[in-house]
Amino acid sequence: MSFKEIGAEEKSTRRSALRKKFQDAFSERPIEPIEVEPSILRRWTRRDLLLFGAGALATLAVGGSQLPRNVLQRLGLDQGGTTGPENKWLLNQALRLDDDVSTVLYSQHHLVPTYTKSQITPLKNNYNGATPDPAYIPGWRLTLDGLSSGLAVSLDIEALLARHQINDQITRLVCVEGWSAIAWWSGLRFDDLLHAYPPVSQAKWAHLESSVNLDANGNPDPYFVSIDLVTAQHPQTLLATHLNGKPLPVEHGAPLRLLVPVKLGLKNIKAITRITYTKDEPSDYWAKRGYSRYDGI
Amino acid sequence: MSSGKPSCGETMTPGARASKPRALVVRRHHLLVRISHWLNMPLLLGLILSGISIYWASPIYQHDPNPTTGSFDPFADAGIWICAHVPWLHHYADPANWVYNHGSLGPYMLAFALRFHWLCAYLFMLNGLGYLAGLCIGGGWRSLLPRLSDARGVLQMTRYYLSLPYTILARRRPIHPNFRTKYNPLQRLAYFVVAVAGFLAVATGWAIHKPAQLSWLTAIFGGFDNARVWHFWLMVFFIVFVIPHVVLVIADGWDTLRSMITGWSAKFKRPEVSDHEL
Repeated sequence: MSFKEIGAEEKSTRRSALRKKFQDAFSERPIEPIEVEPSILRRWTRRDLLLFGAGALATLAVGGSQLPRNVLQRLGLDQGGTTGPENKWLLNQALRLDDDVSTVLYSQHHLVPTYTKSQITPLKNNYNGATPDPAYIPGWRLTLDGLSSGLAVSLDIEALLARHQINDQITRLVCVEGWSAIAWWSGLRFDDLLHAYPPVSQAKWAHLESSVNLDANGNPDPYFVSIDLVTAQHPQTLLATHLNGKPLPVEHGAPLRLLVPVKLGLKNIKAITRITYTKDEPSDYWAKRGYSRYDGI
Repeated sequence: MSSGKPSCGETMTPGARASKPRALVVRRHHLLVRISHWLNMPLLLGLILSGISIYWASPIYQHDPNPTTGSFDPFADAGIWICAHVPWLHHYADPANWVYNHGSLGPYMLAFALRFHWLCAYLFMLNGLGYLAGLCIGGGWRSLLPRLSDARGVLQMTRYYLSLPYTILARRRPIHPNFRTKYNPLQRLAYFVVAVAGFLAVATGWAIHKPAQLSWLTAIFGGFDNARVWHFWLMVFFIVFVIPHVVLVIADGWDTLRSMITGWSAKFKRPEVSDHEL
């Protein structure tokens, strides 16, 4: 055997030893039985059954207390009598935590996916109540308040369209209910409006309202959302004026709606009539009804 | 006994050892594994019940509205069918929501169900981390990893279970294939796959929850709508897993169930040379 061959053999044995070491790391360790007195085993069993039983009861109590009222009533644990929104401490904490996580996940520079025209899907009229009478459109004006100038500004749609660059984007609108739709929107960037009419320096929030919104019976039911200015400055946050290349129809919020693809659909307020910039977080229509306040997706 | 020491702080004097009767047990599950195992029960139940309440708001499976009932949701169809065919349900007030009234927190409570789902989901993720920690600290992960050499054993075990009803009917003694590992290969595969399913359920959940910020994750599962389909069928998988899981634990007996509470088991393959009499 030559010197060279011995070296190769050594190498291959070293390699197979290494492979064995690697396999051993993943293979089951032999079970080593423990020798105990039967009385000790009984004591361990009793102790662990009590501890796990107590844990199960505590989980049942805490978890059960967070169940919805109608389930508790059906189980005979709630006599009823209380109405009003469900207010469960743990659930509220979970929602708060999730909003914080959403805020951390948000990135000003992350663009949401855009689609091609062939990927566009039908978009239903999702007015929660009745669709407003389009008679409001000719006299529509947008009021801006909370500006650094200290004055309120009133704009009509021609002024908005004439003064700002119109951007197109085909993005997905995701509803809190779980459905979504890809649509082609055009409009001015919210960020451009913020530059043209700067808010007061301490402002962190925008409160967007639609006075033309109706409830299911056709009675006035103003809709309003809160949008943090960081999200308003996102390059894909539009004040949309067009859908599929045509002016917005009444069911999609003519003549101006918010299109914020980094938020759930319910923040995409239609037929905006007023934008107010504020220092503190303003109220939000659906947050008052138990949904998230931030709604970042 | 040379190396096996009781790890619960019980000390034994060598003199007392020979005189008193002894029991031999093996440590099977780390405390964290046991706790997370049992916490999965309420958490998955909460996730499924609230998940179906969320599903109600916009079912992923829809058909053209039925001309007579107006229903577009197979779950609503099922409720209508049940109420039409079960005699004491003929006067049920809301047949279209029968499934949701009995298999979820309830319809018409999306905001509540979402909050409930987030609570359970965050706890489920924490629980998953606890489970992984328990597997690592206790070394149990080695018993869980499926290997290619398991394929034969998986087939043997599958054949054993499939032929079990016939064997019992024919009054023959069922012969359980013998394995020297902690889990048999089919168990190993099932427990490994259910852990992976837990991970995928969390991943698809985030893909649905954050399709804008985590768009890469949503893309992995084939887009927003497909991620919802994944998430739905993973839920179905958990339900399908639980049924044989519970049946087999009951069939296997108290020792197996107890080992998930106390951590030790008196059932084990004795080594060829037993040194417990030393």
